[in-house]
Amino acid sequence: MSDRPLILVVDDDPDLVESVSMKLESNDFRVAKAYDGIEAWDRIREEKPNLVLLDVMMPRKDGYELCREIKDDSAFKDIVVVLLTAVAENVKSSKYTHQDGKSTSADDYIAKPIDLDKLMAVVRENLEL
Amino acid sequence: MKDAATSQNLRGPAILVIDDEERIRNGCQKVLAQEGFEVETAESGEIGLKMIAEKYYDIILLDLMMPSLSGFDVLSRVKTLHPDAVIIVISGYATVEFSIEAMKKGAFDFIPKPFMPDQLRLLVTKAIEYTRALKDIANEKSRMRVLINNLTDGVLAVDTQKRVVLANPAFLKMLRHEGEEAVGLSVEELCGGSRIEALVESALSMPEDQFEEYGEELVRGDAAGVPEAVLSARCVPFRDRAGRNVGAITVLHDITVQKKMEQIKSDFVSMVSHEVRSPLNSVLAQLHVITDGLAGEVTPKQMEILGRASEKIKSLLSLSTELLDLARIESGLMALEKERVNPAEIVEDQTAFHEAAAREKQITIRLAPLPELPTVVVNRRNLEEVLSNLIVNAIKYTPEGGQVDVCASTDEKYLKISVRDNGIGISPEDQERVFAPFYRIKNEKTRYTIGTGLGLAIVKSLVEVHGGFIRLQSEAEKGSTFSAYFPLSE
Repeated sequence: MSDRPLILVVDDDPDLVESVSMKLESNDFRVAKAYDGIEAWDRIREEKPNLVLLDVMMPRKDGYELCREIKDDSAFKDIVVVLLTAVAENVKSSKYTHQDGKSTSADDYIAKPIDLDKLMAVVRENLEL
Repeated sequence: MKDAATSQNLRGPAILVIDDEERIRNGCQKVLAQEGFEVETAESGEIGLKMIAEKYYDIILLDLMMPSLSGFDVLSRVKTLHPDAVIIVISGYATVEFSIEAMKKGAFDFIPKPFMPDQLRLLVTKAIEYTRALKDIANEKSRMRVLINNLTDGVLAVDTQKRVVLANPAFLKMLRHEGEEAVGLSVEELCGGSRIEALVESALSMPEDQFEEYGEELVRGDAAGVPEAVLSARCVPFRDRAGRNVGAITVLHDITVQKKMEQIKSDFVSMVSHEVRSPLNSVLAQLHVITDGLAGEVTPKQMEILGRASEKIKSLLSLSTELLDLARIESGLMALEKERVNPAEIVEDQTAFHEAAAREKQITIRLAPLPELPTVVVNRRNLEEVLSNLIVNAIKYTPEGGQVDVCASTDEKYLKISVRDNGIGISPEDQERVFAPFYRIKNEKTRYTIGTGLGLAIVKSLVEVHGGFIRLQSEAEKGSTFSAYFPLSE
């Protein structure tokens, strides 16, 4: 059972977390949930997920900050971080510009609105499944 | 009253001759009346003063040596009554010293007895010119004072010692200066703690062959130090006729409201961004979960309805994205982080990215072989967006089987990126309007094309914030070419 990858979904919108989680679970992933950056840290420490789906705009601690902290922490830096960003659709964003020019240490990103099928593909690709 | 005032203004200068010698009084009256002046006479100092108390005389001819009240006494009393009155002293043979003494006490000039009519005429004419100049200066001063005191902008004038020579009420109010007279204070005493002193300092030390305006935004805090006003301060030196700095003028303009509006706009933009888009994103994901069958079985009819709902949500999302982009660009909130980019790479990337969408409509998208392109300093994402919008439009308004050509070139000044299609084209009257926000061409050919009418408005704004421009060539039924020009150097 526990060899199935654990995905932590972090977004301040519970409905989005629910939808994403349902999709992940239906694809045989285990899911942990958090609704802001601080809570996300607790989940990360307790459950050490394989991958974090991280919303950028969140109260208390935003996604960029949390991502930096994860990557700066030697115990957790191997966790794959995928940012959920709100960029204009139908523009092919180059990797280095995808969050309005802010460079982050995230492994990948998915633009909102999230296409759940695309999301699954990105998750699999980043977990090398 | 009005008539009296008017005639007062129009009349010639009034002259009073005070002399105990009848011959002089009559002589003066005769000569000056010939010149058209209104002349009255008094045979003693007492009578003269009485007349002066009742009426304003512009020029007073005054004998210094009179029996009862001396000319000196009359002189000092007139100076108190009417400081502006011009007094010409008439003096006898041995009284040149007295005359000089009288001038020290404020007489305008003196004329020794006996005098020739021409001497008198000349002196009075000179005195009249002097009174006119005085009046002009007084009027000008009064005009300037009223003007400056009624400005809503604050005005401060200081001398080279940084002492206040003028501070209008608006200035004092903006700095919350109350009570104590400001004139004579140092800038530090009046504007202590603000950056005005530094501005004044720079203006005063500006080299004479240079003229610049120093400006800064000052934030004024209330008693507790909480910012309550934003003032835009501008400071320039003023110079004498030889071009030397003799002081500095500082003008304060209250931009608090403007700043608040900018803040509100910025807050609004990010509020809409998060509060409107997030729920839409979330609804879209929920619909997806349902249509995926993750929340139970879905009938084909339900599928169809949910599919249409998803499309609506998607178009709402792109509308909000474009509205926000436009608001950001227009309010200047979009920080333009420019970098040196290779345009060829972006043109190739964007063209390749839209190939799939073109293929769905059996449209061929071709990239003309690119010449050697210099790098340009732009915001990369903006350049991508411009090109992407133009390509999306070209695909949208070109019928199946059509063709879209992308090409890029440079001349001495501009990088030119063009997107040409052989689609429905744009009529001449629509060509002027396609760049206006929300303008969409409506005819039977575009009826089923979805769009917000903001794409080209955004393209135009983005190109313009880079100092470039956009050109359109089009012919109905034949196709359109949109060309974006980006300047090569900053």
